[in-house]
Amino acid sequence: MLVTKYVITSSESNVLPSDIAMKIYGSKYDVNVKETCFGVIVNGEEEVINALIKEIRALDPAGIFIKDRGFPPGDPRRCRGRRGGGARPGFYMIEAESKMLPLISRALAWEGDIPAIPEKKKPLAIKRLEEIAKEGLS
Amino acid sequence: MAKVIVYPPTSMILSDLVERNGHKALVVPEVVRRLVTANEIESPPLNITPEEPKKGLRYAAVDVPSGVRGRMSLIGPIIEEAEAAIIVEDPGWLTGCAGCSRTNELVRLLIRTKGVPVLDLSYPTNDAEAKVFVQKIKAFLEGLK
Amino acid sequence: MIRIAQLSCGSEYSGIQKEIERAAETVGAKIIYPEVSLDDILNVENTFGVSVSSGDLNLAMARAVRIVQNPDLADAVIVMTCFRCAEAAIIRSEIRKYVHENSKIPVLSYSFTERTTAETLLTRMEALVTTVKYRGLLAREKQKGLTAGIDSGSTTTKSVVMRDNQVVGTGWVPTTEVLKSAEDALQAALKMAGVQKEDVSAIGVTGYGRFLVGKHINAKLVQEEITVNSKGAVFLADAQKGPATVIDIGGMDNKAISVQDGIPGGFTMGGICAGASGRFLELTARRLGIDITELGKLALKGDYRNVAMNSYCIVFGTQSLVNSLSMGCKPEDVAMAACHSVAEQVYEQQLQEVEVKEPVIMVGGTSLIEGLPKAMEELLQVKVSVPKYAQYIGAVGAALLVSGLLED
Repeated sequence: MLVTKYVITSSESNVLPSDIAMKIYGSKYDVNVKETCFGVIVNGEEEVINALIKEIRALDPAGIFIKDRGFPPGDPRRCRGRRGGGARPGFYMIEAESKMLPLISRALAWEGDIPAIPEKKKPLAIKRLEEIAKEGLS
Repeated sequence: MAKVIVYPPTSMILSDLVERNGHKALVVPEVVRRLVTANEIESPPLNITPEEPKKGLRYAAVDVPSGVRGRMSLIGPIIEEAEAAIIVEDPGWLTGCAGCSRTNELVRLLIRTKGVPVLDLSYPTNDAEAKVFVQKIKAFLEGLK
Repeated sequence: MIRIAQLSCGSEYSGIQKEIERAAETVGAKIIYPEVSLDDILNVENTFGVSVSSGDLNLAMARAVRIVQNPDLADAVIVMTCFRCAEAAIIRSEIRKYVHENSKIPVLSYSFTERTTAETLLTRMEALVTTVKYRGLLAREKQKGLTAGIDSGSTTTKSVVMRDNQVVGTGWVPTTEVLKSAEDALQAALKMAGVQKEDVSAIGVTGYGRFLVGKHINAKLVQEEITVNSKGAVFLADAQKGPATVIDIGGMDNKAISVQDGIPGGFTMGGICAGASGRFLELTARRLGIDITELGKLALKGDYRNVAMNSYCIVFGTQSLVNSLSMGCKPEDVAMAACHSVAEQVYEQQLQEVEVKEPVIMVGGTSLIEGLPKAMEELLQVKVSVPKYAQYIGAVGAALLVSGLLED
């Protein structure tokens, strides 16, 4: 079965989308490749894509992320050029998560202790609020 | 290897973390792929036809909006398949397949009432939170093996 | 190519996106999606005034903001969301108001189900495109020369002959066989005007049967009833300048049109339930054993509050009427209750979707059933006027508009 996957790089990764594309072009794999601003889209037989992805991940294990995509690359049904402009709705989710990738990358690469997260702030106790109000008004 | 559904069901970060930890992520794009590569249907862009909202009746009654039922026809079957789940608190920017809040509420409810192990998280906003986020997912997924 | 910006939630997942695009294509338009950024979506509370929990609605609002800021991006706007979604209903209405109040772009709002087809959307889309394409023609205020108009409606076929801004002949027949009814109505109007068909310079056609009739009689103008009726209404009510609201309760569907300077700015068209149509009043008249022309006058003597009407459905509604008659209710109260029920449904389902600005003009055959405009007046708390020839509204609008084509 033909599958399509996004290969998305963290903005802090030393690997560029063009590096990934070059790597695929020079590889033995028979797949379609499309470069985009945040990574590349690869399309091919499922086993081939899975093997390829293993190799791509190895370029920067903590800085390269993979996402499934329903549409083949450049599908006119989803292409904004053919469909009256405007990004497809799902694009904004990729954009939002892409901005988070440097955090995830650094966390994946981290080998030290896991920090304790301070508890979320709770609302001020009503009694203390009363005291502050009285102080402020006096 | 466990089948893990992630919420948001389109999340790149969650599906990537599930797969790199050796499990199968159940995600919506796989369902969309089956629809858009089916030759016999011609209902662009997603090849969803009025039949999908009808299939969604399995998850929600007819007085539930057609958009909810149509989305449920995509997400419902993968909830049924799930053996575990990771749910991240709604970040406020879900669109497209996850762009309807009523659907999302129903999705979370069906996942939670299914009785499979569920990991609840929030998206990280700093490095410390990201380390905990990644660590918790790793530990959760290891526990599934 | 007319560019219609689609601001929507749920259409792709309801399986009707293709239908929307097909309807647009049929009327020579293209659906477009204004480009917005993630930040535009995240900031929609600041720019539009609210953000909601459904992201696709936030996206629709962000796109509306972009259009208002860059009106050159689109020629028209459709706002579409799922029927029965409360969150979307609020936002759909607010987007429509926002675009209407902050730009000159015509806007149409619609709530769909998975059963919505291109055919359902066609008339609405055609009207939207007409308001963009023929702004000059729609601005026409006077009829010139000798022209005729035919309104091939679902229940009746109407025709008028106009000469130098005056209606000089009218014809009205029940719609049976579409072409024959059109021919009969036209002949009646010609006879009254004392002219021959050959003398008429041009014929304009509107209504359900417009394509068939238009082709058959070689009409110079074949136009949907929203633009034609609003034009006819402001012409007959002498309200061509400034705002107006046109309400047309038809045999099969209802229209509420918000008009500015004779051009529709926003409109809704309902047609799901026969309980909100002229058909219900016809059934009521039959149950009361009177002619439909007597129903209105009878209703004026009645009080709807004396009759328990607790259903909007044409079947159960009629049942309520029968029950109330058997319980001793007066026929005049029953007649008024039927008028009130129809008016209330139009008020609740359609007038909430357009800006109701005075003058409010009621047109179409049902406007002659006096109880109906009266019930609408009570609901809206404003004066509702019914112009002379109100039942010929589509035919008058068509005769007026087609005369504009003769000069070009």
